[in-house]
Amino acid sequence: MAIQVSGITKRFGSYLALDSVDLEVRSGELLALLGPSGSGKTTLLRIMAGLEHADAGSLQLHGEEALGLKPRERQVGFVFQHYALFRHMTVFDNIAFGLKVRPRGQRFASAEIKRRVMELLELVQLAHFADRYPAQLSGGQRQRVALARALAIEPKVLLLDEPFGALDAKVRKELRRWLRKLHDDIHVTSVFVTHDQEEALELADRVVVMSQGRIEQVGSPAEVYDHPASAFVYEFLGQVNRFDCAVEDGVAKAANGALSIATDGAVQGPAIAYVRPHDLGLSPTVGGPGRVSSIQVVGPDARIEVDLAGLVLEAEMDRERLGVLGLSPGDRCAVHIDRARVFARR
Amino acid sequence: MLAKARGHAPATGDSALVRALMIATALGFLLLFLVLPLASVFVEALRRGVGAYWAALVEPDALAAIQLTLTVAAIAVPMNLVFGIAASWCIAKFDFRGKDLLITLIDLPFSVSPVISGLIYVLLFGLHGLIGPFLKSQGIQIIFAVPGLVLATVFVTFPFVARELIPLMQEQGTEEEEAALVLGASGWQTFWRVTLPNIKWGLMYGVLLCNARAMGEFGAVSVVSGHIRGETNTMPLHVEILYNEYNFVAAFSVASVLALLALVTLVAKAVLEWRFGAELAATRH
Repeated sequence: MAIQVSGITKRFGSYLALDSVDLEVRSGELLALLGPSGSGKTTLLRIMAGLEHADAGSLQLHGEEALGLKPRERQVGFVFQHYALFRHMTVFDNIAFGLKVRPRGQRFASAEIKRRVMELLELVQLAHFADRYPAQLSGGQRQRVALARALAIEPKVLLLDEPFGALDAKVRKELRRWLRKLHDDIHVTSVFVTHDQEEALELADRVVVMSQGRIEQVGSPAEVYDHPASAFVYEFLGQVNRFDCAVEDGVAKAANGALSIATDGAVQGPAIAYVRPHDLGLSPTVGGPGRVSSIQVVGPDARIEVDLAGLVLEAEMDRERLGVLGLSPGDRCAVHIDRARVFARR
Repeated sequence: MLAKARGHAPATGDSALVRALMIATALGFLLLFLVLPLASVFVEALRRGVGAYWAALVEPDALAAIQLTLTVAAIAVPMNLVFGIAASWCIAKFDFRGKDLLITLIDLPFSVSPVISGLIYVLLFGLHGLIGPFLKSQGIQIIFAVPGLVLATVFVTFPFVARELIPLMQEQGTEEEEAALVLGASGWQTFWRVTLPNIKWGLMYGVLLCNARAMGEFGAVSVVSGHIRGETNTMPLHVEILYNEYNFVAAFSVASVLALLALVTLVAKAVLEWRFGAELAATRH
């Protein structure tokens, strides 16, 4: 176990940022802390790095209690959202910083420092930029320098705070793939914070979904997406139709009885149903209960809004399938639901 | 950005006539209120020739005044340098109770008349002051002596460095320091290698302003000085005495040295900005 978080609690004044959080990070994995702003994910990451104090709990880094240690004693690499490069130093000096500030006895000779820095520059594909200043680099290049700087001290764990948050969409996607590949090559235990579900699902080995200072679910990207553990996770991950229903004898009824969904029978009485747009099937039926109210084409996909006795649902399918169905706005159709989750209403 | 093509006024620009008029007004104003008075100082100083000018400067009381001014500045400026960095460091990088009060207190010397600043020290350390009698019994003299001059100068020039650094450090935030700490740097290493290089230009500017004011301060220093010739007269005070004695050539000669010191300060700043302009721009990206 690379990182063991137990019962970590943190308050800012009267605001509870982390509420007794338990989490295990396995050696060599790439873990995403995913949640909306204010969910406590960045605070948890900063506590791991020692940049924030925990009010209670314990934190073990590779089996060693770390809450009492200063940031410099923890041997973690930290990558900041806005890079936090030393603006008055060249790229080379930025990366060499962690090696140069070591106490005299543990410091490498300057030739060795140079060799290591150049090696890292090769790794992040910036060998020609050693003499540039951060202000002369693009956002993606700066983030790669920040990563190289964090890796220079050979950290036991790498912590990344919204690493792609300040980049534009195209660069973000490229850098994401590149980071995944880099992680597959060097296998350093990594935790990154993000509010972008797509980023978490694409990049991480495991995803931790957080909300209001608590962990809602931990699992592989497929697990959290296909089997959300709570209503919050369902709503936060991906598009979802959410509507009121009443469950009787394992069957949820909604839209004044126009819609019936079979459930696993765990819930009884008033409930809330969640259905992903691509789990909603439509078939053209003369005099059917649903009416297509609008169709929106986004790239290869089509989003179809259906009015079912006053309940508005969104379905999603590829354009080819839509063409086969031959639906257009105003048509009547039948609605069938392939998969749904029902949570009791609190 | 200037419009490169001739004949095409930039969208925000005015007609040529308006521009010429505004430039003329600005230049005229500068000439009338800055250049002419400054020039007249040197003209008056050299009215009886270079010999008289030089004689006025090497006269023992004048030399003592020049030396005293440099001494006071040499003590007061480093003190405010250290204080300014410490104050802006804790204001910009930490949150604590009473922060707003501290910021207000730092501005106090700007809002208080320099004469009052001097009086404060007389009331505290004077013979009939709060702790004056005790200090006297210990053989320590503050008022009408060099320590009083230094204290008054420190008080008056207190805000320059801090005022320059606080907004700069607040804008830069704490992330670079955090990065340094995580990378293994000690607090001291972080300060010398990260914080100080990032603020050096603002710091230099603050120190230059602080120094200019420290050498030129009149009001506060005048109250605590006692005007003892050759002992507690700084250059501004010496100029006043000579002037009141109708010794115009000597008065303007000493004044010209003060003016020269100010000009040297300005030139030093301009040269540094020109020399390191690119780096300056980089630190403010």
